[in-house]
Amino acid sequence: MTELEHRVRGVDHVAFPTFDPAATVRFYRDVLGFPVVHSICAAGWGPEDHPDFIHFFFDIGNDDRIAFFYYFGLPEPSTSAKGDAYARFTADTPDFFVRSRHLAIHVDTEHHLLEYRRRLDGSAWPVEMQIQHETIESIYTHDPNGYMVEITRALRPVTPQEDLDANLTIDALLDIVETPGAGLDALLTRKAELIVERAAAWQDAHPVVEAPEGPVRA
Amino acid sequence: MTLRLFVLDVPENGAVAEVAQNEPGVQVSRIGPYYVIESSGRFSIDRRATGCRHAVWYSCVAGLSGCRIAQFDKDALALEPR
Repeated sequence: MTELEHRVRGVDHVAFPTFDPAATVRFYRDVLGFPVVHSICAAGWGPEDHPDFIHFFFDIGNDDRIAFFYYFGLPEPSTSAKGDAYARFTADTPDFFVRSRHLAIHVDTEHHLLEYRRRLDGSAWPVEMQIQHETIESIYTHDPNGYMVEITRALRPVTPQEDLDANLTIDALLDIVETPGAGLDALLTRKAELIVERAAAWQDAHPVVEAPEGPVRA
Repeated sequence: MTLRLFVLDVPENGAVAEVAQNEPGVQVSRIGPYYVIESSGRFSIDRRATGCRHAVWYSCVAGLSGCRIAQFDKDALALEPR
């Protein structure tokens, strides 16, 4: 496989529609404290009957931005049982699926995570869940548009072997996914073959570096 | 046929290999950064003995050779011959 140069530098912006710009500004600017850093006031133009709109941006750290479109006079296309301002679903759509698309914003420390928890819990959009996953701890809420927002911190650095493991998983997935009925059992069986083929050579090329236990001491 | 369970060596998974090693007939070796937990017959690993939280527990299996998962719940992970 050809190694392609990796030149991208993170998220410039991710954009969503909103039908409630006032609550959106309260949530991101006034509750979370994300500065407004850019906005565009645009008259509708073009061959379509495009409404006038405001496109506005909040700084989410690292010079990355979350942006919204507010279209004047545009009615919400759907108000079905589940979903958000962009996508609606029927009542029988599983919650895990509806929640699968979300934005996760990084913080460096537990102190910072808890500070955002404090800000949200004092607002109309309190934290709905605080969960420690394998190696991260996250808080979750839904913004005024129904978009699920996660704020997360790493409990430890990602190790080099996890990158190997991720690549073996994806290669195994691509090998089995076209097979009718293939599930996790087929993937784990194929992945075992790839581990046997590649893991020892990977280790030889990656001398073991002992990870420090707990906080690094000066 | 030998049953082999592959588990990635990361801090959260160490207890899985340690508990497995104490099971009768189970040997633990390594290939690269993976534990290879193997046995000639069915074996199981007790989740509570590992102390693994659920998110760690349910994502600890990296590969299966010669076996399939017979049980994988909050109590145990059991492997049986394929």
